[in-house]
Amino acid sequence: MSSISQTDWSETLKFWPRHNEALYKRLETKHSWLETSGDGAPADPLEHEMVLNIGPQHPATHGVLRCVVKLDGETIERSVLDIGYLHRGIEKIAENKTYQEFMPYTDRMDYLQPYANNVAWCLAVEKLAAIEVPERAQWIRMMMSELARISAHLIWMGVGLMDAGAVSVFLCTFQYREDIYAIFDEVAGARLTVSHSRIGGVATDVNETGIGLIKDFTDRFPEAVESWEKLLNRNRIWIDRNVGIGQMSADDVVRMGLTGPNLRGSGVAHDIRRFEPYLKYDEVDFIIPIRTEGDALARYFVRLEEMKESVKIIRQCLEKLKTVKGPVRTDDAKRAYPNKDEVYYSMEGLIHDFMYTDTGVAPPKGAATYHAIEAAKGELGFYLQSDGTGYPWRARMNSPSFTNLQGLEHLLEGAHMGDMVILIGTVDPVLGEADK
Amino acid sequence: MSSMADSPKTPKAPSTLPFDFVPQEPETAVANNPHAKATTQVADVVDALKAHFDQSVRDLVVYAGEHTVLVDREAIVEVCRFLSEEKGFSYLADLGGIDRFTEEERYEVFYNLVNIEGGKRIRITIRVEEDTMTAPTVTGIFPAANWNERECYDMFGITFDGHPDMRRMYMPEDFEYHPLRKEFPLLGVPGSLPLPPQSPTGELTGDPFPAAHGHKPPKSFQEVKSEEDND
Amino acid sequence: MGSENALQEGFLTTRVDAVVNWARSNSLMPMPMGLACCAIEMMAFAAPKYDVARFGAEAMRFSPRQADLMIVAGWASYKMAHTIRRVWDQMADPKWCISMGACASSGGMHRCYGVVQGIDNFLPVDVYIPGCPPRPEAVIHALMDIQEKVRNEYSVAQDGISGKESPSIAPARPKIITPEGDTTVSPSGLSIR
Repeated sequence: MSSISQTDWSETLKFWPRHNEALYKRLETKHSWLETSGDGAPADPLEHEMVLNIGPQHPATHGVLRCVVKLDGETIERSVLDIGYLHRGIEKIAENKTYQEFMPYTDRMDYLQPYANNVAWCLAVEKLAAIEVPERAQWIRMMMSELARISAHLIWMGVGLMDAGAVSVFLCTFQYREDIYAIFDEVAGARLTVSHSRIGGVATDVNETGIGLIKDFTDRFPEAVESWEKLLNRNRIWIDRNVGIGQMSADDVVRMGLTGPNLRGSGVAHDIRRFEPYLKYDEVDFIIPIRTEGDALARYFVRLEEMKESVKIIRQCLEKLKTVKGPVRTDDAKRAYPNKDEVYYSMEGLIHDFMYTDTGVAPPKGAATYHAIEAAKGELGFYLQSDGTGYPWRARMNSPSFTNLQGLEHLLEGAHMGDMVILIGTVDPVLGEADK
Repeated sequence: MSSMADSPKTPKAPSTLPFDFVPQEPETAVANNPHAKATTQVADVVDALKAHFDQSVRDLVVYAGEHTVLVDREAIVEVCRFLSEEKGFSYLADLGGIDRFTEEERYEVFYNLVNIEGGKRIRITIRVEEDTMTAPTVTGIFPAANWNERECYDMFGITFDGHPDMRRMYMPEDFEYHPLRKEFPLLGVPGSLPLPPQSPTGELTGDPFPAAHGHKPPKSFQEVKSEEDND
Repeated sequence: MGSENALQEGFLTTRVDAVVNWARSNSLMPMPMGLACCAIEMMAFAAPKYDVARFGAEAMRFSPRQADLMIVAGWASYKMAHTIRRVWDQMADPKWCISMGACASSGGMHRCYGVVQGIDNFLPVDVYIPGCPPRPEAVIHALMDIQEKVRNEYSVAQDGISGKESPSIAPARPKIITPEGDTTVSPSGLSIR
């Protein structure tokens, strides 16, 4: 009946014939959520069906995500997501690099908030090897991770609104992102791929200029958020585009394993910062915004309020950093890099530095731990297994975008074509970490 | 460091080098792990599991406060159902495979389960033999396992019986290997993934480095050759 | 290159060239093939601080038919490489390619099975930008290099080559190779048998 099943794909497409064949076959044969949600009888296929291939290159700037959708007019009946267009195999690379050498690769996972990925990796290795981190380093890490969270949410908002049609918000949010980049530049030396966090602490302390820049940012940023709220919160167009779109109940999101603002927008009170506090999150005062509606508008509010809460946390960290002084990295030579002064001016320091780069942290053989943080997108965790050497035996990356994209496949079915951009934006995937 | 007092002229035997890592005993590491969390203290759940499934629960590893329970491969669905329905671990945080590279029971699949209301985490693992390479699927209990099991199949080759959509996740179906197996080389197998043609009507290239072997793709329109060019 | 009939200069053509090239170089329409982290820096390069609109290249056209400069930003996996090549083939001449970042230029830090070690294995690259990710100023520098390249083209002569079947024009519909010979897909749809 469908011309697709009669087409011999191996001739038409010159590349990946078996892959596309399997993909389209899955599209034909899958039971749509729509079909099984009714009385169980298969839906009557209408004549006007069209298979549309969206991506992997497309104007929605969330990355190389390919959606193959079967359309009935404007309604998406079934959809199959094809990812892997950005797959590098960093889990395999991790098995060939020492724990510290792998740090730059974590930057490139969720590249909208690289500092948080670094911190997640450091915490996982520190848990594996039982390394203690000095207090000042923990406050610095927390402050920079919250800045990274703001940075990721700013892109989400800018790009989400740009894809929906309002391009000027993109320009506004990017201006504030440039301020955050200036902070990262000053503190960590790089704008985007920072790799500032080290196993056992952070690389360098924050100097006066950096503190000044952060303070300035926290003074100016809340007004910007207020201006966006004034623009968007009661904006009829924005509300109409988002209300009721991508509705998921609390049971749905838990069953589908979604994470981050997708969980909290549907009323599930789960945030790793409260669930298993890491760094100093149990010593700062902040709330976790939760909404119960479960649609795209609820997730928008959750992310917006998370940005405001992050500013609160950063202010508290700045206060604490005035009083908490001390080293920014643990002193144990087998656990962390020595201070650069020692490396340049003492023999032991030089040898420690060399051995740490060569051998690295050597956690106990057979040890396996999982440590998760609350990234901007959700639960970012690393499950590390050690074989006693400085190289991980297995480094499994539990990336939130991967788990959230499963939910996108469910959300797309039954939606309209015009809402697709909003749906991708509300799930907020970053393909760099979804594809590992 | 005491080693620095030794004369540099006498080479040391490798075993006496101060940086030789003596593997730390896991038990000693547990006691003072600063990152151990309260959520992974699930000794009562493990006891309940042992009571319910006493034959199937094979091993328990406690490290850094985390409890990892090894169960029989056939019992995993029942274990998951027990934990999900009776103990409240209804959220699947992660599922993945590990290549242990041992003669027997080469592969391991781990399941990280979370009890959101109770604030608890537990890990269940099963072992998969290299000859059978199959495991039962848990998508009936945790629909979130769908893509994770596909990824496990893609990376290791472990098929999950009863999975609704057992396709590869990241690599194209044309790819014949399973990359995260320990014997798969990091740089891949040349020719396993063809490169696109170098002109619109050309053929796929099996060589991963055509530019280095002298086949750079031609530009589609003529260019000015300047005096500085020396190709 | 200076082949016999192709690039004939004269006084008039060089004057027209100058005007055409000036117009082309100051109105480049990039097609951002933004794959990964470099795409974020490319967005920053279009953002107000490192404004690329000063160079006339802010009209980022995601349709290859409307663009003339492809900026490949991010690592190209083997799976994605075919898509990139297909999109490149759909772009009309004259077109240029910028390989942005270490990963696009040479595979970068990703020396592994999934990543093509340099897009110049399948795309003719004009300018390479090192960096991981390159600062937006570096991308602007590359854009200025491309502008200089464009200004030195023999545009009139190239545009005026007629009668010679250029083998590099991509067919609008895929060609099907059957034992009987090549056929082009019928406009009505996918059923070709």
